[in-house]
Amino acid sequence: MTRLIEVPTQFDDRSFDQFAASYAQAVDGERLLFDAHAAEWASPYGLVGLLAAGEAAARKGERPLLTAPANPDVVSYWARAGFFREAADLFEVHGKVPKVKVAVESEVLLPVTPVRAAEDVHAVVSTIQQRASAILSSELGLDPKATMGFAMALSESCQNIVEHAGTGGWVAVQAYNWRRKLARRVVVIAVADAGVGFRHSLEPTQAKRFGERWGDAAALEAALIQGVSRFRDPGRGQGLAGIRRYLARWEGKVAIRSGSARIAIVPRWDDDVPLRDGLPAFPGSQVLLIIPEQEAK
Amino acid sequence: MVQAVLQQSVSGFYTDLVTRPTGRAVRENIERDLPPGTIAVMDFTGVGCLDYSCADEIVAKLVRDKVKMLLLRGLTDAHREAIEPVLAGAGLAVLCERPDGALEGLGASEPAPALLDELVERRLAARNPGGSIRLTAA
Repeated sequence: MTRLIEVPTQFDDRSFDQFAASYAQAVDGERLLFDAHAAEWASPYGLVGLLAAGEAAARKGERPLLTAPANPDVVSYWARAGFFREAADLFEVHGKVPKVKVAVESEVLLPVTPVRAAEDVHAVVSTIQQRASAILSSELGLDPKATMGFAMALSESCQNIVEHAGTGGWVAVQAYNWRRKLARRVVVIAVADAGVGFRHSLEPTQAKRFGERWGDAAALEAALIQGVSRFRDPGRGQGLAGIRRYLARWEGKVAIRSGSARIAIVPRWDDDVPLRDGLPAFPGSQVLLIIPEQEAK
Repeated sequence: MVQAVLQQSVSGFYTDLVTRPTGRAVRENIERDLPPGTIAVMDFTGVGCLDYSCADEIVAKLVRDKVKMLLLRGLTDAHREAIEPVLAGAGLAVLCERPDGALEGLGASEPAPALLDELVERRLAARNPGGSIRLTAA
C-alpha cells in the first residue's frame, strides 16, 4: 500500500508541522509518496527537511516516491538549489526535473549539501566564506568581521549532525527577501537529519536529572538553554552556546525541532513560540538559523 | 605555526580550524613535541575560521591538561571571539600578543594577571613605562 504525504505549497518551518503530521501517520511497511506537485515555494528548511523524511522513509521500507513540483519555475529553482542532486539517491522521482547547474545565482549561498563527516564541514565552511562575505556585509549590513562568526555558526550547526545524529544530514544556506515577516533581506541556514534526535542523544546523561519531565522538549531545553552535551568532557556544549551568542549580536533567530518538540530563541521582530511540545513526531533534528538585514542606526 | 600543524594533521588543504576531530588531530600533533608544564607559543597567522569546538579542543585542552602557560599570537578578532568564551567558561586564561607587541590576558579574568606576573618574574617579559607588558625574548 502507498501512503500519500502532501508537501505544503509554501513549504517552510511554519508549514513543516503540517508535513510532519502527515508523515507521522505512516505505518511500517507502507510505501510513501511525497507529493510536491503543487508546491509553489520551499525554504531551505523545507528542502532539507524533505530529504530527511525521504531518508527516514527509505530506512523503514521501500524506496519512497516523490512527485516533483509541476510549476517549471519552482522545479527549476529546487534543481538549482541542489535538491534533486540529493533526492535522486533517496527517492524514485517522478515528474520533469530540468538538468540545470546547481547554485548559479547569488541567492543560493550554499546549495543543499550532504554532511556526513568532519571533512564535509570543512568543505561547507570553506565554500560559505568565499560566497557569503559580500552578501553578509553589503546586502545585510553586517560588519565584515561577522562573516567569520557566520561560518562558525554554520560549522557548529553541521557538527551536530556529525557528532550526535548517528547518520548523515544536509545543510543549505540561502539569502532572500523576507517580505511577509520582515520586509528585509535575510540569510537562512537550514540543517536537517533523520538521525536519533536530541532526546535519544542526551538520554543516557540527562534523563535522570529531568525525571518525569524528560522528553523531546526537555532535551532541547537542556541542549540549547543549558548548554549540556551527551559527552562528559567539560568543554562540550560550546557549539549551540556560540550560535546563540552570534545570533543575539545580530538579532538573529535559532529554532530547533527534534522528535515532537521545537524550541526557539525568538528575537523581537518575530512572534514565534519559544517552546512547543506534543508536535507530530518527526525523525532526527532540524535546525533553522535566520540572520536579518541590519536596520540602519 | 598552527596552520602548518593543521596541514600535517588533516588530509586536504584547509585553512580553517573547524570540527572536533580536526582540533583533536591538531592538538595531538602539537602535544607530541611539547613537554608537559612548558610555556608554549602558538601562532595563528594564516588560520581562517576557528570555531568553538576547535577552540576548546586545542586551546582549552592544552591549557587545562598540558602546558603551564600558553601565549597566542597572530589572532584575529574572530579567533578571539571563539577562544574567549571557551576559556572563560572553563575558568582558564591564556596570554595573547597584540599586533603592537603588548601582552594581555584572554579568557577568565582571574588567572590572567598571575600569568603576566610570572612572565615578568622569569624575565621573559618586562613592564614598559607606559604600563604595557611585552616579551623580552622571542
